[in-house]
Amino acid sequence: MKNQFAFFLILSLSILLGNDFRPTFLVLNHFDRSLSNVDSTMVNTFSNSIFEFDSTFHVLFENIDEYENPASSYMVTIRDLGEKHNVDYILYNRIKHDKNRFTLDGQLFNTRSGGLIHRRKVDLINYLNGQINELNMWIGNVAGILDNEWQLNRESIMFSDPEDIELKKTPLGAAMRSLVAPGWGQSYSGKKISSKVWAGTESTLSLAILFSYLKYDEAAKSFLKNLNLYGSSDDVQKVTGFRTQAEIDWEKHKKYSELAIAFAGATGTGWVANSIHAWIIGPRPYKNIYQKWESQKPNTAG
Amino acid sequence: MKTLYGLIIVFLGVGSCTIYDKEFDNPVDFIANNEKGIGAPTLTFYPLTQTKASTETVIVESFIVFNPDSMKSFAGVHLQLDFPQSFLSFDTITPGLFITDTSQATPLFTYTFDGTNTVDIYTYFLDTIETDLLGSGHLANIIFSPLGVGTDSVLYNLSACEMIDYYDNVVELKGVRGAEIIIQ
Repeated sequence: MKNQFAFFLILSLSILLGNDFRPTFLVLNHFDRSLSNVDSTMVNTFSNSIFEFDSTFHVLFENIDEYENPASSYMVTIRDLGEKHNVDYILYNRIKHDKNRFTLDGQLFNTRSGGLIHRRKVDLINYLNGQINELNMWIGNVAGILDNEWQLNRESIMFSDPEDIELKKTPLGAAMRSLVAPGWGQSYSGKKISSKVWAGTESTLSLAILFSYLKYDEAAKSFLKNLNLYGSSDDVQKVTGFRTQAEIDWEKHKKYSELAIAFAGATGTGWVANSIHAWIIGPRPYKNIYQKWESQKPNTAG
Repeated sequence: MKTLYGLIIVFLGVGSCTIYDKEFDNPVDFIANNEKGIGAPTLTFYPLTQTKASTETVIVESFIVFNPDSMKSFAGVHLQLDFPQSFLSFDTITPGLFITDTSQATPLFTYTFDGTNTVDIYTYFLDTIETDLLGSGHLANIIFSPLGVGTDSVLYNLSACEMIDYYDNVVELKGVRGAEIIIQ
């Protein structure tokens, strides 16, 4: 099993001793790393249990989500196991770790039909004895045993008072950054594409302002020069030429002035909009966090 | 922050995008005269305004300005102008470039001064080859000496001014513009 530590804990328990109608369970645990005292904890938590080790259930460790109909993927195997161990249900629990998080995938099979009848998949941040606590909660939920201590243990990972949460990044911080440099606030919020779009747009508009202003300045200077030549000449032909050129320059300086003002308006408006956008998409705490699961296609086959 | 400062500078620059007034007023420009409602052909002085010290010579250039689209040739001109005798003293008159640089033809060019404030200028083309002129141009330079300080104008007397063609037909003058003289 490579780097994984896997063991099969078979726990048969009678929920109520001496009552034949009480359901019995075969519990199969598969963990990717060793969890100390898990077996003794199970024994203590769920008394009257019987343990067996068997490596023949490897097939169950495959990902049932890859099957077209996960609920009926192991019907034959489950029925065989149920018959072999004489249990009503099989609980298959898998725990996988990923950095500071772990995932518990619990599946409850009915040995009579062989189908999957209940499933729990939780993805949580690590907390003290979290894996065993989550295992207890899952098995306890299936077995109808509830312990408030388990719920309290789980809640230890939550902030006791959300009002005390101090966020390093805020929407205002994003807005202020975008006010200084367009796109900075978006980048600060992790929105790389919109950051580039804003920075590119504002840069382009700024360059357009600069270009228009330079052309305006050039035309204005040329206009003043030709106007001066026009006024200071008494040569009829030259006067006509200077006037014609001055009129062309005047039209140009007016056009580029209007363009520069229009671009400046667009830049200013865009700048403010960019800052508001940065504030809107700025980093905020999530109030509702949902786990996105793989979608399951219903089996429509007859 | 450099970007912000740069853009502030640009905004300030844009804010100073002055739209200059399109004021063309040169007395030898037909369009400028026409925009002021002065008909063509026009007798004008150049420059429109001049400021001189009392020790300097005042030169006023006389021009005839035609509409480029309706020019008529002319062979003789009589100009009569009045000047402010209170602070200008008539000195002399010289022929303008327009009537002297025409090939080898030498026009008749003369003037009379009434001794007070009116000068009459006469110029004719008497040659058989160069018989007339066509277009706008410089007719004469009228030179004055300041007598004191003041502001006044040199003006054409349109009713006395006349322009004729080679066949002695009158070419109607439709407008005049004076010149302002400021002696400081």
